[in-house]
Amino acid sequence: MTTETVSPETAPAEKAARATFRPNVDITDFGTEVVIHADLPGARRDGIDVTFEDGVLSLAADVPPRDVPGTAIRREYGVGDYRRSFRLGEGFDASRITADYRDGVLTMKVPRLAAVLPRKISVTAG
Amino acid sequence: MHSDPTPSTRLSARAAIGPAALPRRARRFAFASPLEEIRDEMDRLWSEFTSSAPAAWGPVLDWAYTPDGGRPLPAGAAGFPAVNMGETPEAIFVEMELPGVNAADLDVSVAGDELVIKGRRHSLEEPAETTAGERATWLRRERGTGDFERRIELPVAVDPAQVEAKLCDGVLTLSCRKAAECQPHKIAIRS
Repeated sequence: MTTETVSPETAPAEKAARATFRPNVDITDFGTEVVIHADLPGARRDGIDVTFEDGVLSLAADVPPRDVPGTAIRREYGVGDYRRSFRLGEGFDASRITADYRDGVLTMKVPRLAAVLPRKISVTAG
Repeated sequence: MHSDPTPSTRLSARAAIGPAALPRRARRFAFASPLEEIRDEMDRLWSEFTSSAPAAWGPVLDWAYTPDGGRPLPAGAAGFPAVNMGETPEAIFVEMELPGVNAADLDVSVAGDELVIKGRRHSLEEPAETTAGERATWLRRERGTGDFERRIELPVAVDPAQVEAKLCDGVLTLSCRKAAECQPHKIAIRS
């Protein structure tokens, strides 16, 4: 009987071939804040990174590799990490940005600074 | 002098036949080219658009970090949700990406070799009045919502009593044991 040597590690070429995806998003401007919902199926809460710098909100999610067991007989989507950036511009309060991940959807809320919000001036009779 | 015009005369004569030297109305008759008119108008609009876009658009101007061209639309050619499937001698494994779908809104049923996935992805809160009294606006709508149903043909019949479904982080995983008659049978060989 002969023994075969099988490397338990994934070949480097296979790792490099992993795709990076641009997640679909819904963005809503509520005036006081901008809300971004991003589809990140398969990501883990602790693998998601949201940063805000120079008016650019960036999200990066590392997705653990996964595959259906057995021989693949149908493959309609690929599995990979997610990356996307949004240029929001000035007037946002970086310290109050929140991010919540639930059911494969990341919800980011980016509040505007109170100073930039429009203020209604009441006219008084004099 | 015809034969020897001064440099300045030559220059102005050349400019006079170029489009830039003529007023807009004169050019229309001089060239009689609607295409050129349209092109000029497009150029004007484009320059207005590009000069005003960054301030007025805000979050719409995102750029994609997508070396591979981006993620396909949720509703691909085959329908939503997209499906990956694997097969072992004893079972069929089906995986689907369903971000934003609760287990309560998902209905999975199996009959013979047909798998049916039904469900609903609820729409987000509609933009309502903002606190400032202005109307909230959609800046991007790529995700899509609503009801979906997909019938997926399995390569063999499976045992409906032995289908396990798990929904985690927006990924639905099904493991379906093949029906008894489709299982591999080991044939004992008599000597």
